[in-house]
Amino acid sequence: MKPTGLIFFPAFDWAISPTHPEREERLLYTRDQIFEEGIMDLPQIREYKPRMAERKDIARVHFCVPDVDAQITEAHLVSAGSSLVIADAVMKGEVKNGFALVRPPGHHAMTVAHGNRGFCNINNEAIMVEYLRKKYGLRKIAIVDTDVHHGDGTQEMFWHDPDILFISFHQDGRTLYPGTGFIEELGGPLAYGSTINIPLPPRTTDMGIHYVLDNLVLPILDEFKPELVVNSAGQDNHYSDPLANMCFSAQGYAILNSKLAPDIAVLEGGYSVETALPYVNMGIIMAMAGIDYSNLREPDYSPTRFKESSQNMQYIEKLVATQLANFRQREEVIARNRLEHKKMYTYYKSIFYDTDGIHEEQSTQLRMCEHCAGYRVIESSAQHPRWGLNRVYCLSVPSYGCPDCQAEAQKLYEDMTGSRNKYNYVYLQDRVKDVYKSLESALSLETVL
Amino acid sequence: MLIGIDVGGTFTDGVLFDGQAVVTSVKQPTDQQNLKTTLLKVLDDLLTASAGAKIHRIVFSTTLVTNLLATDSGDKTALLLLPGPGLPLDTYRLFNDTFFLKGSVDFRGRELEAIDKAEVEKAVDAIKVRGIKKIAVVGKFSNRNSSQEQEVRKIIMKRDPQMEVAIGSETAGQLNFLRRIVTTYYSVMTQSTWEDFASEIEKALAERGIQTQVDILKADGGTMPLQISRSKPCETVFTGPAASTMGGKALTMNPKNSVVLDIGGTTVDISLLIGGHPLYASKGATIQGHYTHINAFSVRSIPMGGDSPISIDQGNINVLSRRRGAAACFGGDYPTVTDVFNQKYQLGIGVALQSSQKLAELIKGTGIDMETLCRAVEDTVFNRIQEAIQEMFMEWENEPAYRVWEVVHGRKFDVEELIGIGAASAAIVPGLAGRMQVECRIPKYAAVANALGACVARPTLALQVHIDTQNKVFAIDQDGLSGSIPAGRSFQMKDAKELAQHHLVEIAKSRGMEQYAGEAEFYLEEQFNVIRGWDTVGKIFDVGVQISPGFIEEYQGVSR
Repeated sequence: MKPTGLIFFPAFDWAISPTHPEREERLLYTRDQIFEEGIMDLPQIREYKPRMAERKDIARVHFCVPDVDAQITEAHLVSAGSSLVIADAVMKGEVKNGFALVRPPGHHAMTVAHGNRGFCNINNEAIMVEYLRKKYGLRKIAIVDTDVHHGDGTQEMFWHDPDILFISFHQDGRTLYPGTGFIEELGGPLAYGSTINIPLPPRTTDMGIHYVLDNLVLPILDEFKPELVVNSAGQDNHYSDPLANMCFSAQGYAILNSKLAPDIAVLEGGYSVETALPYVNMGIIMAMAGIDYSNLREPDYSPTRFKESSQNMQYIEKLVATQLANFRQREEVIARNRLEHKKMYTYYKSIFYDTDGIHEEQSTQLRMCEHCAGYRVIESSAQHPRWGLNRVYCLSVPSYGCPDCQAEAQKLYEDMTGSRNKYNYVYLQDRVKDVYKSLESALSLETVL
Repeated sequence: MLIGIDVGGTFTDGVLFDGQAVVTSVKQPTDQQNLKTTLLKVLDDLLTASAGAKIHRIVFSTTLVTNLLATDSGDKTALLLLPGPGLPLDTYRLFNDTFFLKGSVDFRGRELEAIDKAEVEKAVDAIKVRGIKKIAVVGKFSNRNSSQEQEVRKIIMKRDPQMEVAIGSETAGQLNFLRRIVTTYYSVMTQSTWEDFASEIEKALAERGIQTQVDILKADGGTMPLQISRSKPCETVFTGPAASTMGGKALTMNPKNSVVLDIGGTTVDISLLIGGHPLYASKGATIQGHYTHINAFSVRSIPMGGDSPISIDQGNINVLSRRRGAAACFGGDYPTVTDVFNQKYQLGIGVALQSSQKLAELIKGTGIDMETLCRAVEDTVFNRIQEAIQEMFMEWENEPAYRVWEVVHGRKFDVEELIGIGAASAAIVPGLAGRMQVECRIPKYAAVANALGACVARPTLALQVHIDTQNKVFAIDQDGLSGSIPAGRSFQMKDAKELAQHHLVEIAKSRGMEQYAGEAEFYLEEQFNVIRGWDTVGKIFDVGVQISPGFIEEYQGVSR
């Protein structure tokens, strides 16, 4: 039996600020627990050394304003790079699956990155997914986000991609950051139904989450038939988490990972550093490695401590039925959308960066392409507290994009950069060619990654 | 005068060293059934050569404990484990006679579950029935709070005062319960045999009227007094490679990236000096397939040496691993690796003509000419060694890292020189260095580098202190030391380092090695704010300080 790959990267020399939840101490007790257990000495585990991601790996998914270096620290490169090491180990068949137990996290980071939102600058899962597609030719990938907060960044990054199934269950957005992730959020017009949100009521227990898993997540995965499953493994559904109000246990997380059997898990949030993380992390590692976890429990855990109310269960059952139906009618809806919408599909939104206090206004135009997911034009302006106003114009050609989309986007980039324009920066992200260009308008300075 | 003796698997080497040069060296075949006799025979030869000059220090390295563990012939020992929640209990059932007890503490030393006195007593009775007189008690996180282990020991001693008991926190206080179990178990298992050996040596020295300091070499390339070794028998494992590596370092004394190749009759032992510092095995010494908390050099052994016979089988040229006697140039019946190098490079080793004759006999009628044979053997030998070196580099460069700084700065090992020691190194190493395009050193005394390494190695000591200012406690990974820190003032890294340094000095004094305490260096300085809500309620420090492997003050290199 092949081992489970593991990177433990606690970034003991990186924090957002000394008392911030995302601080050096976050994985300290997890370190103590997994080192003391000796789990990394077992033949079922193979530990890997982290590496730094390339700037190109980041430019493949993000428009970092003004450039990649402005949005990251070395810690971000190591955290993202560690996911890539695990991805390589899984794809090369060195391990049967792998867990990047790393910080800083990434699932709130969106396509255009003006700063830090929800403790995240760059999106580790998205970077890994596009890396897997580019390097190994994968196409259909499922991401199951088990963080208590809606994975709004990952959702946004794959909103228009019908080949990436994004499933997030989380505490209801009416009661928790980031305030999104409702059932109506089902994906863009050409990718309808490949985004599935399951907003759960506060205090949902193991029972409720496992009902969702058994009756919605697993059946959907079965029907979608992804080539690879990623668990965006937040740990803040735990009953002791200080930033949320759910009642999930370490046993619950372990069973979840046994059932879900992700190929790759990447750590996201989870801020109960002392009473949850050591045990939840052990549980995930043990489940992935096929080690019996019946002896694992939190010191204050008792199986009878939390009980799902029948009212909650009814609510969850209804939710599951609705989302299953939404998923199953995705092809019809997409076909209808093609008829209804014209050449370009346009929408507007505002994004607030809570950590950095940035307000961003965005408009997106999607080409309603018959052959591929369609290229996107994103115009964004953001008021940064230190850097002032930045206006950017971004062109994104999707992975597996068609030659028409590629050519049109290329032409738009040339038109825009060949004349005076109102943007500070113009970007072209051509994932098909794997070429990433940016132009600083004032200096006519082009950078190519 | 100084004496160093390395009791090896096949031969025992000894040197008498006057501080600048080797006055005499002695080589004797090792009698595996009676290591003491071999050791004393070599000692007596060296004492005779010293002609009554004062002996300041004697250092031994022996395979006694290594052999005990390899043959599983130590004392029968029971394990009482307090695993608490976590991995399944079967993970920790590594040895026969393992009992699991109630009781557990967490990573901050808080008791999660109390021990059950009646359960302990029942286990002691069962152990007694099995005729076992030794018990190792080991708890998960006992390095953060040893009170449950101590309590269990008390209960055992009360129930059966004849039992010999050791506890994990006093034997191996580093994080890693699995390795703590193995280390404590093996320590208990080998202790009485080692103590008997130590007593016999002391007695033999007294009979010879020698009243000098006697030290034992450890797996980490440092020494400890014979008296201290009585409670730490496991630290004397794998000292053969440690002696050789320290010998290689002693004979070159430079801060380069070097590969030490100890090439004997049947094995090549490879170790690395990174900037002159020996590389340690990242998971400690591996004993019978188990990782331990014993600090040991990273050594790779290839079953191939100067006496490895050459064969031609259906046109294939092979280097065999099983020794069939000495090289032909030393009167052996079969041509060996040494004969090939002797022939190829006209080294004039032994009776060189015999090398040529036996090799000529070997190729007769095979259609293989002498040049082809020599090139093929040389390639095989060089390739095996180079592959092993390459693997060691890769492993070291790919060791996990937990800090941004370590990942950003990476690790790269560029070999600058090969240091050849051991009897067959002069024949093989220069050619290999030529192929690798690095410098080559075959130092004077290369044949007895192991004994010289033992002779001039200085004592080592490493300790790590874990301080929790919220709970106002500290715990040290040596000897089960712990205590409380003063309340009422803010504790800073400076204080943490002072605390570590203070205990290092105290332990050094108790081991008669205080003159080296000034050489101690901090190898770990970590601090974490303990935040609850948005307030800092304390700090956690992990500070490590060590006297690393090196040489005794009077050793300044071999000058004559």
